[in-house]
Amino acid sequence: MHFLRFTHNVWGQEVMEGISWDLLPVAIGIGLAVIVGHALYRVVRKK
Amino acid sequence: MSAPSGGIRHAGIDRLFHWVTAAAVLILLCTAFLPIAGLHFSWVGIHWITGIVLIVAVAFHLLRSLFWQSLRSMWIGSGDFRSGAPSGKYSLAQKLMHHVLGLAVLTAVVTGALMLAKVDTPWWHRNPYWLSAGTWGVVYVLHGLAALAAVTLVMIHIYFSLLPEKRAFLRAMLRGHE
Repeated sequence: MHFLRFTHNVWGQEVMEGISWDLLPVAIGIGLAVIVGHALYRVVRKK
Repeated sequence: MSAPSGGIRHAGIDRLFHWVTAAAVLILLCTAFLPIAGLHFSWVGIHWITGIVLIVAVAFHLLRSLFWQSLRSMWIGSGDFRSGAPSGKYSLAQKLMHHVLGLAVLTAVVTGALMLAKVDTPWWHRNPYWLSAGTWGVVYVLHGLAALAAVTLVMIHIYFSLLPEKRAFLRAMLRGHE
């Protein structure tokens, strides 16, 4: 997995282009993990 | 956590700000990430116009909170960590969500405002050479990180707002009171 995307400027130098879109599923996964984790905690706490 | 108890919790202007911001952030996230996920459409126009709406909304909120509202109600102090102590208008969790999501949105707004220089609009022509390629890279990285953080935080924010025990807060954001 890459964290950044790179491109080349007009002089051929490597410059940052932005973050890697490989991180989008990670962001969604973290959100889902918090939601599922809290939902499970609620279920366990109720028992 | 202090639940709303009959009085007005959010003034109409604050509720309008919240829902305009929510709609703008959701449109911006969809126009940013759906094309990356494979759903291709002409997204740039919708994105920068919605971005300007968000810039105006955030500027309004900053001015209103600085000059017309109590900053203390959002301040995190030692009282927030005392168990059993009555919290103020907002719980620690609500303050943390506001501050973290606010930081992400503010970062996206500032970097997005800079990126407006790269689009043609009825008011100005694009100038991609306004900043160096390296500086644009930093702007894009910060914009992307803020957007990804917003994805995670918006998911969590919507989840907690829909929990049955938090329903009073959602009603207050819709109607002003519980």
